[in-house]
Amino acid sequence: MKYLIANSTAEVLEFLKEAGGTASILAGGTDLILDIESGKKKADTLVDVTRIPELKKIEEVDGFLEIGAAATLTEIQKNPLVRKYFPSLAKGCKTVGSSLIQNVATLAGNVITAQPAADAGMALSVLDPRFVLVDEEGTRECGVDEMYAGFGVSTLDSGRTLMTKIKIPLPNKNEAASFQRLELRKSLSLPMLNVAAMASIKDGKFEWVRLRMAPVGKGPVRAAEAEEWLVGKEVSAETFKKAGELALENANPRSNPLRGSKEYRESTLPVMVRRALLEIATQLNVMEG
Amino acid sequence: MKERLVTTVNGRRIERYVDPSMRLVDFLRDELLLTGTKIGCKQGECGACTIIMNGTAVLSCIMPVMKAMDAEILTIEGLEKDGTLHPIQDEFIKGGAIQCGFCTPGFIMGTKALLDENPSPTSEEVREELSGHICRCTGYKKIEEAVLKAAERLREEKDD
Ligand code: FES
Ligand code: FES
Repeated sequence: MKYLIANSTAEVLEFLKEAGGTASILAGGTDLILDIESGKKKADTLVDVTRIPELKKIEEVDGFLEIGAAATLTEIQKNPLVRKYFPSLAKGCKTVGSSLIQNVATLAGNVITAQPAADAGMALSVLDPRFVLVDEEGTRECGVDEMYAGFGVSTLDSGRTLMTKIKIPLPNKNEAASFQRLELRKSLSLPMLNVAAMASIKDGKFEWVRLRMAPVGKGPVRAAEAEEWLVGKEVSAETFKKAGELALENANPRSNPLRGSKEYRESTLPVMVRRALLEIATQLNVMEG
Repeated sequence: MKERLVTTVNGRRIERYVDPSMRLVDFLRDELLLTGTKIGCKQGECGACTIIMNGTAVLSCIMPVMKAMDAEILTIEGLEKDGTLHPIQDEFIKGGAIQCGFCTPGFIMGTKALLDENPSPTSEEVREELSGHICRCTGYKKIEEAVLKAAERLREEKDD
């Protein structure tokens, strides 16, 4: 195996090209290293992108919060801009593995490993993120649904394409987001369920809602039925309840011996949705928590 | 193929040719013979292999050795000074926060990183920050107490 430390985006592309598709980009490596060892993933060359200064930045640019793809979950979760604009994202980052994992793992990696219930990627998924991807052909942006190919499979080929940053539009003052997690333990345990929501509320009514849940399918699954139904609805406990029930229409949780049966997950999912919507209403001072 | 690694471990500059598929913990233990750093799970789930790299607590078992390039690494062996244990080590011993000791180096390095950043943590913060470490013997209470005691002592030493 070869290990290359890249100092710029251009150098990453050069290294990848030289390897002709047999290399893999490495950021935190908290999953990749184990996946390579177990044979789940292959790479002859690792290209370490964590020393590229541009990829470490977290900054506000033209109405977006931009998070460099090599920023660690700890750096993101402690960043004042993230805390100010997207506390739910900070919360999602803070629940991945343990602080020891968060100190090296990245948000970009949390998305690219494509585990369906990855907490940071889930919290991010409802914030309308744009992923900036660079390869030989140039730079492009893509949205959440274009990132997930399957269970633990990304659409992004880490042997050819580099994610440089994640852009999130800054919220308006009548918008807020929430991230909810159902867990056995606070640390070192994957969630039994997680739900993320973002909404805009005007005159006591939902203008729009983005609602996603996991692990109930591939990547962060949209609760499309609930989202549509919620538009124009009064912000109230009954509305949350109905939305929770509708979320089940798009959810297909599996039974897991450690993290809950299908039945248990189906009974608790509506509760998580209710909590998420209530938290948003509370943040926007429409309701009391 | 071996690659050149230059790194600093416990203040000592080291230059070696290493197999880049090696994990940092194996390099520390097998090549540098610093066996104080333990391997519990080798999966990033127990915290036994915790070391400090450039001021941050990290898991050396899931870290490729080349991540140590140009880094400053501190392991449990680097804590004592001229035969005197570090206050954190001392408080762990005094407080009975050690039984079999297997988790201890990891806990102590995690504690060091925590107290360097936050010299006066609350119990809650100690629990949260050290929640990536697993101990099968002590029941954690004594560890929490030892950490708070060590924090107090380090603050006093600083004031002197
Ligand atoms: S040995 Fe590294 S976390 Fe368990
Ligand atoms: S003292 Fe034995 S595992 Fe902690």
